[in-house]
Amino acid sequence: MATETPTSTPGSQPSQKSMTKAERRELQEKQRAAKLAQPADTLNKPKSKPKPPAAQKKYPPGPAEANISSADAFRSHTKDATSAPAMDSLAEASKSRSLRIFSHFGLPKHGPGVKGDIHPCIVRLALQFSEFKICGANARCIATLIAFKTVIQDYQTPPNNTLSRHLMTHLSPQITHLVSARPMSVTMGNAIRQLKLEISGSDIDMPEQDAKDLLCQKIDDYIRDRIIIADEVIQDLACTKIKDGDTILTYARSSVVEKVLLSAYKQGKRFSVIVVDSRPLLEVSWTLSDDSLLPPPPPIPCTYALLPALPSLITEATCVMLGAHSLHSNGAVFSRAGTALVAMMAKQHSVPVLVCCETYKSSEGVMLDGFSKNELAPSHLFRTTLPISPQGANLEILNPLYDLTPPSCITAVVTEVGLIPPSSISSIPTALGKINL
Amino acid sequence: MDIWATYQRKLEDVQISPPLAAILALVDLCATSTAGTMFELVKALNEGSDSLKQHSPNPISINAGCELFIAFVTLFPHDSASFSDLKMELVKQGEIYVRQALTYRRKIGELAVDFIKDDSVILTHSYSRVVMETLLLAHRSKRISVFVTEARPRGLGVKTADALTAAGIPCTVILDSAVAYAMDKVDCVLVGSEAVVESGGLINAVGSLNIAIIAKAANKPFYALAESYKFHRLFPLSQYDLPSHNPRILSFPPPIERDTVLASSTSPIPSSGYEVFITQEEIAKNNPDVDYTRPDLISLVFSDIGSLTPGGVSAYLVGMFAG
Repeated sequence: MATETPTSTPGSQPSQKSMTKAERRELQEKQRAAKLAQPADTLNKPKSKPKPPAAQKKYPPGPAEANISSADAFRSHTKDATSAPAMDSLAEASKSRSLRIFSHFGLPKHGPGVKGDIHPCIVRLALQFSEFKICGANARCIATLIAFKTVIQDYQTPPNNTLSRHLMTHLSPQITHLVSARPMSVTMGNAIRQLKLEISGSDIDMPEQDAKDLLCQKIDDYIRDRIIIADEVIQDLACTKIKDGDTILTYARSSVVEKVLLSAYKQGKRFSVIVVDSRPLLEVSWTLSDDSLLPPPPPIPCTYALLPALPSLITEATCVMLGAHSLHSNGAVFSRAGTALVAMMAKQHSVPVLVCCETYKSSEGVMLDGFSKNELAPSHLFRTTLPISPQGANLEILNPLYDLTPPSCITAVVTEVGLIPPSSISSIPTALGKINL
Repeated sequence: MDIWATYQRKLEDVQISPPLAAILALVDLCATSTAGTMFELVKALNEGSDSLKQHSPNPISINAGCELFIAFVTLFPHDSASFSDLKMELVKQGEIYVRQALTYRRKIGELAVDFIKDDSVILTHSYSRVVMETLLLAHRSKRISVFVTEARPRGLGVKTADALTAAGIPCTVILDSAVAYAMDKVDCVLVGSEAVVESGGLINAVGSLNIAIIAKAANKPFYALAESYKFHRLFPLSQYDLPSHNPRILSFPPPIERDTVLASSTSPIPSSGYEVFITQEEIAKNNPDVDYTRPDLISLVFSDIGSLTPGGVSAYLVGMFAG
């Protein structure tokens, strides 16, 4: 999930505290320059690629204007379909129509550089997020919490204020900055909500340093209890479902599934794995090239295939194990684009589908499809994997990052409270006691 | 003390089902145990339940009872003055629970009777005490007739048929392989259970899955009856994921020696019929005792805590054990 493990983040670069003021300014400057440069060459390109250069200057893409121009286009289209300007606006219309459908998918909002008082470690993290150097729900959540620990330690309560009242107003712009780099994941949202609760509940009479230490301790506890220990329990539970001679099929890359497979192997179970991967992220190829993650020989026998090969491989599988981005209360699993396809195909061939997911990924909302909320992969990062040139007219490249697997296609969700059928996900919060979630 | 012998003795009472017998055996263990601390007691109970499971060919229902009692012991508030008092209290509570549990069948019967219409035909499988109770209760107010499957290999369907006929309920034993033939005449299917698992599915005498699939295909309701002590924290992904599955089940016989094959191929083929050379016992040996019915095939589970959908069962189990 993370190319750069979040725990190594503070060590991999001189810590923010040890950076000189000049260095910090340089970083900010660089960041600002990058932000300013991006709208010109990256953000506009996928949207305005098919546009002739002149039109690009005239109509900067925006949902409101897109609506107007499409309406205009239809009006002029009915009047005179053959005239050149009408043709132009027809092309405009078809393009803006596709934009209108997918414009709500979160593309990074590249604001004018760093706004307000943003801590350098947040600036750095935002860059790592937007460049997909840290990606995956767990990695992003852990990285965010670790960065917030630094922010909290560097924070000074202004005079005539209390920490419990003021710290959140200090953190809000940091969160906004992170969200502008990449839409917030459900895991981050849950963790931040818990952090807010802890901050507002911290004792007013406590000395400031003690209060900050206590908050950092709570953050550490959260990471340990909800992510690390939860993963260990999930490993134990999921391993009981792997037997000698099984063939486990997995899709894309999930840190939990990876851990489950490795720990089952360490327990002496002999099974094989089919790894299915897909564009645009091709996450697994990173795993395969990373030797340190592969178990010592004899390794687990693996088959690597791309998504189109799934139908011929699914019959070989005895069990499908998937990771998740978030879990919704109707039992639907929001996960890497393509997961739904794998789960549906497995259901069709009556292969059990296990989703490995910590309970802190659960979201109270109900999701019905992957269109209402999604995220687009920034095409400038993954363009190298495209077989076609994006220069063609009327061509828009759409890379949604996630999709929604309906609960009917999932046999069980492996959480730290046990194997649970997707229909009973909503009873976890009551079982755990509402406060924890 | 020999816990397996105690278990067998408890099971002699026809009203006591395996999970309750397991609970009673553990209660006896608790009473005779010399444990001085909670930790020792729980350890002794765990050992007792392990030895029960090892002795039994089908540990699923025993496990449900053991798990329930051990969870009860660990969660029981121990504010007694001395540990021996606490042990006596646990024994008392265990016995009270079992006495209460014996009334559950009546409760379930009353719930299920409302789903049986007058003049309806019911299909049931093998022998189940709770189904018997329900059918006898329904017979008092409604005209019902019953098809009961033979339920090989144990053949307990005959026992059901005898009891029902004695009570004056029209009853016919049908072959396990004739379920699909009979299904169109049936109004609803009622089965008991060995255990109800966390997915909301059902573990019951082999053949239940066939009936459930056929009932689903014919759009007939499939009702399961289960006392709440049969609810079990287990999530089977497939038939082969059940604790009762072992390599012997569905195994192929060792290949016949080549020489004998050659010898038989050269000998003239017997002209009249074929010789029966495999006995019922031999067939049963390679076959499962229980199978797992998926939750999507089950319409409702009637239990002493209410009429639950399979989803409701799993929500109840998550709430009970996950906390």
